[in-house]
Amino acid sequence: MSGTDDDQSGGNAFVPTRRTVLVLGAVAASTVVTVRPALAQTTGSVLACEIPVPGPQAGGSYIGPDGSLVAPGTQGAAPPLARPLRGEEVKQLLQSGTTPAGVDPTSAQAYANYIRRLQAGMSGFTCYASLQMPR
Amino acid sequence: MPGPQYHADPEAAVKSVALDGLSLIFHAPSGMTHIVAPPAPEILAALRLGPAEVGELIARLSAWYDFEGDAAADAIEARLAELESAGLVRRA
Amino acid sequence: MRHSLSLQIGPVAFRIGSAWRAPLDALAALYAGYPTPADGICDFTVRLEPDKPWRRLIRPSVAIRGDYVLPDAAPLSLAHGLLAAEMGMNLQMALGQKTYLLLHAASVEKDGRALILTGESGAGKSTLAALLGERGWRLMGDEFALLDMDNGLLLPFPRAISLKNGAIGVMEAEAAPERFGPRLIGTPKGDIRHLRPNADALARMGEGAKPALILFPRFGEAPAVRSVGAAEVFMRLTQASTNYVTLGRRGFDALTRLIATNPALAIDYPDTATAIGLIEDFRQELAA
Repeated sequence: MSGTDDDQSGGNAFVPTRRTVLVLGAVAASTVVTVRPALAQTTGSVLACEIPVPGPQAGGSYIGPDGSLVAPGTQGAAPPLARPLRGEEVKQLLQSGTTPAGVDPTSAQAYANYIRRLQAGMSGFTCYASLQMPR
Repeated sequence: MPGPQYHADPEAAVKSVALDGLSLIFHAPSGMTHIVAPPAPEILAALRLGPAEVGELIARLSAWYDFEGDAAADAIEARLAELESAGLVRRA
Repeated sequence: MRHSLSLQIGPVAFRIGSAWRAPLDALAALYAGYPTPADGICDFTVRLEPDKPWRRLIRPSVAIRGDYVLPDAAPLSLAHGLLAAEMGMNLQMALGQKTYLLLHAASVEKDGRALILTGESGAGKSTLAALLGERGWRLMGDEFALLDMDNGLLLPFPRAISLKNGAIGVMEAEAAPERFGPRLIGTPKGDIRHLRPNADALARMGEGAKPALILFPRFGEAPAVRSVGAAEVFMRLTQASTNYVTLGRRGFDALTRLIATNPALAIDYPDTATAIGLIEDFRQELAA
């Protein structure tokens, strides 16, 4: 990132030209970071939150092993949870795999994946963002 | 075969503050803020002289700087792709 | 609404309405001595409402509503109504504040120099700020720091300090009992007790201060101090600000100016006494 100065060598060296080295970086490097709107850090102070699994728009859909919504009764899919999960439970689930109380352990992975796939605008996203998961 | 021309917004559209070896850029048209590391600010400065393809851009930069790092064209194109995603550069 | 209370806190005026009396009685006691807003005009309204109509009386459930609401917010029990009011005020600031650049940070002032303590929840900044407030520093706020974008001053926002779990005992040993709210047990964040800032902080809640140092404290590590690069500070502060993006160019100018003119340090500390010692050292260096 910092430049080094090279003196131009050669016969007419009455004015040494100082040229800076520009490091171009590896092709895969990242040199541009965009500031995104942030609510996550503050949300813990403003929200005792819960995440419904799945959200109310799911209309009875079940949750596939990868967290996507699937038709009810699909082989290997987990049923909607009867109660929303609290922020703390979600944190435990995602960080250490601890199954929340009253939840079928064989379905826990599917629920975890559903939560990880939440995006802005989906019910529970703000809660998920506020749990400050390492990015 | 000529490649795409890259454009950067004029100086008036962008507020840039250099801090600690990096540049903080406020892009007025989008209202977004970006933190950019060299050679991104230098590429933007070179494009402000006018739109350019990659070859021309390299020529402008090598008039001011010596390059470190192999495969200048690949690296510069990678930087341009990043700047494009951020909305600081566009292709025409 | 049935009951309401208005409070002036620093430059911001709140009206808190409630379907139940008890939370407002607790709020009024906690905020004893705070001014009421001039002419009764309020910047933000918080409303504590039953989650469903019948939940006003049957297993009362307090939903946090107001000018600004967050989806996914779980209602609280009536026993935690005071907490609901506090969270409601936080919410209005986080979503609605547009006059000042909002930083999720604690701030304290001494000799005209303000320190900004920022970092993730649980990093210990509230406890540190509360302790400094009992050690000759003026507490300007424990949750939000307000930056005036025109003149670069930090403005006080001295809400009641929210102490959690272990920090409660620490501060009970430091501050007079009448400054505390009730102990709220079993909240979503554990046990919480609120502490009113001292008389000096209240008397001077209209007085801004020039920032002098940005600190990133981290509790639970062996003592260490390191300088934080300006670009990293910028990134971290934008993530600690809920309104940076909406404020556009003014926010950019104010934040870059704050960072360009103030040093930033990350400190790790194993206990609060160590942290306070470090902070006093910094203060003396700044004064030299």
